[in-house]
Amino acid sequence: MNCDWVQGNVTLYVYDELADDSRYELEQHIERCKDCAAEVTAAREFKMAMSALPQPEPSPNLLVASRMRLQEALEDAEPARGWRRFVIDPGVWLRKMKFSPALAAALLIVGFFGGVGTTYRIAMNRGGAPEIAGNPAPVAQPTATEASIVGIRDIVHEPGSDRVRIKYDTVVPQYVQAPLGDPRVQQLLLFAARNNTNSGLRMDSVDLLTQKHEDERVRELLMYALRNDSNPGVRLKALEGLGEYVKDDVRVRDAVLTALMSDENPGVRTLAIQMVRPVRADSTVRQVLQHLSANDDNSSIRMQARSALASAPQLD
Amino acid sequence: MLADSVTIPVSAVPHLPGRTRAMGTGEINPTIRGRMVGQTPSRVDDTVLIREAQSGNRAAFEELVRQYDRAVLRLALHMTGSEADAQDIYQEAFLKAYKSLGNFRFECSFYTWIYRIVSNLCLDHLRKRQVRKEDPPVSVDGDGEEYNVIEQTPDARPSANPERDLMRRELGAQISKSLQKLTPRERMVFELKHYHGLKLKTVGEILNTTEETAKNTLFRATQKLRASLAGMR
Repeated sequence: MNCDWVQGNVTLYVYDELADDSRYELEQHIERCKDCAAEVTAAREFKMAMSALPQPEPSPNLLVASRMRLQEALEDAEPARGWRRFVIDPGVWLRKMKFSPALAAALLIVGFFGGVGTTYRIAMNRGGAPEIAGNPAPVAQPTATEASIVGIRDIVHEPGSDRVRIKYDTVVPQYVQAPLGDPRVQQLLLFAARNNTNSGLRMDSVDLLTQKHEDERVRELLMYALRNDSNPGVRLKALEGLGEYVKDDVRVRDAVLTALMSDENPGVRTLAIQMVRPVRADSTVRQVLQHLSANDDNSSIRMQARSALASAPQLD
Repeated sequence: MLADSVTIPVSAVPHLPGRTRAMGTGEINPTIRGRMVGQTPSRVDDTVLIREAQSGNRAAFEELVRQYDRAVLRLALHMTGSEADAQDIYQEAFLKAYKSLGNFRFECSFYTWIYRIVSNLCLDHLRKRQVRKEDPPVSVDGDGEEYNVIEQTPDARPSANPERDLMRRELGAQISKSLQKLTPRERMVFELKHYHGLKLKTVGEILNTTEETAKNTLFRATQKLRASLAGMR
C-alpha cells in the first residue's frame, strides 16, 4: 500500500466506507507514515468542522403543516388506477357523510338556492333541443352548460311509444357578492363551514365568520366546528375565533376544555391550553389542567399544563 | 371496493380512550393508527403497508408517509435552505409517490425509492436555481428579521459565551458558502453521506448510479469543501 493510494482513500476511511482489509492496511500504513497520518487527522478535523453546526431540524410546526397540506392534497387526488376512477365507491362516500351529517341532507335538498327538479319529455328520434313540458322553475331554465346534473330520479319509457320521460335534478351555481355583514353572506358562510367537503373552503368560512362574531349562531358554529370537524386546520381556526369568549361564555370554556382533553391533534390541544390561560383560576379549568399535568401521555402537554398551573393567576 | 378495515400484524400502542376521531376522511384501523413516530419499521411491515397502499388504502399510505416524512423534510430543508421550498418538495415528493405507487415493484426498499424521488426533486431545484443564478433563499422569522436557515444556530438562548457564538455563526456562514460551490450532484452525495449517514452503496442506488461513481463524487466534494474552508481561514 503506497501513499498515493492512501491519500486518495482518506475520505472513504473517515466516512467508514473502506472494506475491512483496506481499512486495516491503511491503519497499518499511517502508523509508519507521518504525512499520511497528518492527512487523516486533517480529514477528521474537516469532518468534525462540518458537523460542528448541527443540521437544522424541521420545526414541529413545519412538519405538522406539511402533513396537513399533504392530507388536503390527497383528499383531492385521484389515484390513477384504471377503472377505479369511474367507480363511485360507496365506502368512501359514506365515510365522507359521517363527518358532514348535513351534507346528506343538503344533497337531498337539491341544489342550494336554485336547484331545480325538472321533468322533461324527450322525443327519442328528434335531434335538437328537447321540448320542455315540465313545471316552470322559479328561476330561469338552466341550459345544458349552466346546470350540472346531480342525479337521475326517474326514467319512464311510455309503453307503445318512442317517448322517454326522465326526471333529473340539477345544481345551478349561484353567486352572491356582498359585504361580510350581509345576512345572505353570513348564512352561506355558516352553511359552508358545516357542510362543505372541501376543508379549505370550510377553513375560509370559519376564518371569515370569526371576523364578524357578534352573532350567536357564529359562536355556536365555531364550537360545532371545534368539536366535529375532521380537519385539524379548521378546528384550529375555530379555536382561535373562540378565544375571546372563553372568559364570558361558560359553554365556550367547556368546548375548549373538551378539545384540550380529547382532540387528537397536539397543535389544537396546545392552542387550547393557551386559550384557557386567562381563566386558569377557574376551578373547572384547574381540575382539567391538574389531570393533564399528571396523566396525559404527551409530555409537552403535561409540561404546558404544569406551567399554566404554576404561574400566578391573573385576577381580571 | 376498498377494504373497510385492515388487519395488519403491527405492534401498536393500545387505542386510547377519548380519542375517537379518525385522522383523515378514511377510517383507520386502530392497530395501524397506534404506530409511534420514530419507531424503526420492519421490512415485513413495510411490504404489507405498501401492498395495502397500492390497492387503494389511503390510511396505509398515510402511515408510510409518517414513517419517512421527517427524514424527507430534513433532506429537502437542508438542500434548499428554505422552509417554503422544503414544504413544496415534500408535497411534490409524496404526491408523486402516491400516484406512482403502482409502479413500485419491490426491486429496492421503499426507503430508497422515496429518497430517490426527493433527491431528484432537490437536484432539479438546485439546478434551476443555478440556471437563474439565484441567491440562496432567505427566510423571515417571527420578528420579521431575515435569516439563512442553514446558518441559524438552533440555540436561541442568550449565551454565556458570545464570542463562541460569533465563531459558530461565522463557521456556519463559511460552511454554507462552501456547500454552494459544489455541483448539485456533489452536494447531494455529500448531504446523503455526511448528514444522513447513508452508505455510498445506498447513495448510488438513490441517485441511479454506481457505488464507484458515488465514491468519486464524495471525494471531489470533500476536496472542494476542504479547499474552500481552508481558503477562508
